[in-house]
Amino acid sequence: MSNLLQLLVSGLALGAIYALVALGFVVIYRASQVFNFAQGEFVAFGALMMVSLHAEGLPWALAVVISCILTGLLGAVVERVLLRPLVGRPVFVTIILTIFVGALLRAGMTIVWGHELRGMPTPWDTMAEVDVLGAQLLVNSLGAMATGALVLALYFVLIRRTRLGVAMRATASDQEVALALGIPVGRVFGATWFLAGALAALAGIFLGMYPRNVDIHLGFVALRAFPAVIVGGLDSAMGTVIAGILLGVLELLCQGYINPHLGEFGKNFHAVFPYFVMILFLMVRPYGLFGSRDVERV
Amino acid sequence: MPTRALVTRYEQDLALFPDRWHRIGLVLFSVALLVLPFIADARWLGVSNLALVAVVGSVALMILTGFAGQISMGHAAFLALGAYTTAVLGEQLALPFWLALPAGGLVATAVGLAIGPFALRLRGLYLAIVTLGLVFLVNHMLLTFSDLTHGVSGIAVPMFTWFGSEPGTGSFLDTTQLGDLRLVGDQKLYFLFLALATGAAWVAKNIQRSNTGRAMMAVRDQDLAASVLGVNPARSKVTAFGLSSFLAGIAGGMFALQQQYITIEPPFDLNMSIEYIAMIVLGGMGTVFGAVAGAVALVVLSPLAEMLGRQLPLIERLSSAQQSTVLFSTLVLAVLVFEPMGLLGIWLRIKRYFASWPFRY
Repeated sequence: MSNLLQLLVSGLALGAIYALVALGFVVIYRASQVFNFAQGEFVAFGALMMVSLHAEGLPWALAVVISCILTGLLGAVVERVLLRPLVGRPVFVTIILTIFVGALLRAGMTIVWGHELRGMPTPWDTMAEVDVLGAQLLVNSLGAMATGALVLALYFVLIRRTRLGVAMRATASDQEVALALGIPVGRVFGATWFLAGALAALAGIFLGMYPRNVDIHLGFVALRAFPAVIVGGLDSAMGTVIAGILLGVLELLCQGYINPHLGEFGKNFHAVFPYFVMILFLMVRPYGLFGSRDVERV
Repeated sequence: MPTRALVTRYEQDLALFPDRWHRIGLVLFSVALLVLPFIADARWLGVSNLALVAVVGSVALMILTGFAGQISMGHAAFLALGAYTTAVLGEQLALPFWLALPAGGLVATAVGLAIGPFALRLRGLYLAIVTLGLVFLVNHMLLTFSDLTHGVSGIAVPMFTWFGSEPGTGSFLDTTQLGDLRLVGDQKLYFLFLALATGAAWVAKNIQRSNTGRAMMAVRDQDLAASVLGVNPARSKVTAFGLSSFLAGIAGGMFALQQQYITIEPPFDLNMSIEYIAMIVLGGMGTVFGAVAGAVALVVLSPLAEMLGRQLPLIERLSSAQQSTVLFSTLVLAVLVFEPMGLLGIWLRIKRYFASWPFRY
């Protein structure tokens, strides 16, 4: 029982991080129909920035805020310099562009930070645990969940209640009409990339807390968040959050209960399990859990 | 968009080599290709062999992505399947390479045809990510069937010329004496690969000119219109997947034979898929010329990038693989932003400049 609870809570924590990363994809995709393959590098950049800022002696909370802002700015700069000239070109071109932006960012981070592993600073004792119903839960996991929930709530308030949120939704539904109505579509793109960068940094910071290793490869988590984006539906923020959390939980449950029964094949099976789920899921619903259904004529 | 020379008859439109200049160029090019292995040193011969492998691989991806418009990030998975089939058949059953190599292609085709139907329901990004999942799934399978593949430790790839050879004997790579001509293993490999690469490019060119290829391009450009005109989009997409994965499997097998010892990750990871995408983008989408030019350009640039990388400040801190990544990432970004048609676009512009000289256009 306590084993199950422990798996569930760690799954939720992992899922919250997947949800944060996946939300970054969706925010950008909704506004500009660009799928940002460099999102993983933003995650790593945010985490490394955090480590460096904290090492400079900044207080923890301030370092979090500053690294979010810096990563957000990085996103906005990438959008302004590289993606803005490509507006109106096929989807394919922007996919390839972001893949290579990611490769360059990774090389840049290697130059600045090198290869060594760093520890992510935490405001509480790193290995602190709380006892809940007989299960030992890491404070880190609980922190990730709480932050995830808070950020998601803030995001939905932003989208539903603010002028920027309305502008973002308008741009998402039709760029030309939005332009005609006087919405600064370019600036909305910038804002969405900023937001996606900040979300990525936050995900990176909590991802780095456990297992407490931060290096330039942290961004590979984005590859594991893809299934969440797809299962949730590319253009549905709510769907991705739900799918992210579900896949996080499923991944850990798979690690705990399915892997041991598969023998040799089960080694690390949980790492590909989300992809497995995704492929099965897409057979049934090609537009994801909550994605908008395209009219298919052929 | 740069256009081709005026075509007045259907035969001209169909011709493989439209005019005398193309034919002269082709003869000169072939002579250069045949002379190359005798003047290149061992290092550049290795680079040329890798370039020929890349040509087959990028032609394969061009059929799928350039002709049929299906974005695939799973190209590395097909190469991995081809490579490992070739390796396992050689190592376990001591099959000759001319059987193991096509077998690799067939195994990759089987998986390609299984994945193809996904493209009927998914498009664009969804397909890209499903094929990306394929890379992880295939690599996971290869890792877990370690009885055959030896898992992470990698596998040696023998290259037997005939059945029943013992390890260490009867290898294709042994030096041969042909009269006065002494051919070392890499040179023989070069001629074999040259034949395979030429074959692949020729097959792709013929597909492009034929019904099959035109149907693919119609589906790529406007699938609704294509199906109204009687093209079966489902069949076109699955055919593209089948052809592409077969050639990719062959390319994987060639890669294994060239390396003689392979592991799973690297090289058969996401980066490999991305490199192949870079090749076809750099070369110019939708043409065989683009696939060949892009593949050769990227492979030959890597050693150049290493040489250049040592000179530059900051960049020197990276590993050599990363140095070439930086170089070609920058190149691809520049091409995407400034020259959407890639090397082909540059070539067409140069050609047009001289064709209309002394006028500007």
